Amino acid sequence: MSDPHPAPGYGAYLVIWVWLIALLAGGTFVSYLPIGKTGAVSLILAIALVKTVLVGLFYMHLKAERSVSLWVVVFFPFLLVGAAVLLVLPGIFLFS
Amino acid sequence: MKTTAAVPVTGIPSGKLGMWLFLASEVMFFTGLLGAYIVLRAGLGSWPHPGEELHIPAAALNTFILLSSSMTMALSVAAVHRADRVKLRLFLVFTILLGLAFLSVKGYEYSQKFAHGHFPGTGIFWDCYFTLTGVHGLHVLAGILTNLWVLGLTFRDDFLETRGHFVEVSGLYWHFVDVVWIFLFPLVYLI
Repeated sequence: MSDPHPAPGYGAYLVIWVWLIALLAGGTFVSYLPIGKTGAVSLILAIALVKTVLVGLFYMHLKAERSVSLWVVVFFPFLLVGAAVLLVLPGIFLFS
Repeated sequence: MKTTAAVPVTGIPSGKLGMWLFLASEVMFFTGLLGAYIVLRAGLGSWPHPGEELHIPAAALNTFILLSSSMTMALSVAAVHRADRVKLRLFLVFTILLGLAFLSVKGYEYSQKFAHGHFPGTGIFWDCYFTLTGVHGLHVLAGILTNLWVLGLTFRDDFLETRGHFVEVSGLYWHFVDVVWIFLFPLVYLI
């Protein structure tokens, strides 16, 4: 078969890696900042989410993915993760 | 790139679709583990600060290693697109070596914990730590073995024509292992 995705350049992957390492440094640095637990947790998890999006879009080639079927497969687990988070959060507030 | 990956009615090569479906089940597996960890931690009230018990620089180094291995894995996929066997093997070898480096650092961390008398079963904190990082470590090991197998296949004359898509499929798994660590690192070590 012919590959549907254009061949990405080596340099593009290097740029994404630089961003990922910068975000790693940023996330680790935030954990030492005196900004309060809630603020630190929110910021650290937001940075982790950005890193995940970068890996997904560029390294897993989802940015170039045009197949609706594949997006459905990718979408549902994250829908279920969202549901799990909504189920877990009230428990956390209840216990803490 | 020419491959013999079958393209069914979904329009997605079978191997790639199969891997994504597998990853979907893995997402739920780790969601269950992390959900249990968060609920246990919240329910316990007092929880040791990870910085006092765990080696954050070692974990940060491991994150650096795994992010770098994701890049070399992506570069090996790009090499397949260019039908460049030399770079494909080179980047695959780098990915495997970085995976081994990750496990070595993890082994060092574990040896330090064992030396201080911390084992699975010595408290809920250590149970969670060893379960989460241990299960992830097993996934890294599986990724290394898969990449070793693909590396061996690259020595077949017809690899690029018939099995080139194997690199992308094993790459998807490797990136997923990286994504799991992206969340494990802050949840276990930083927060």
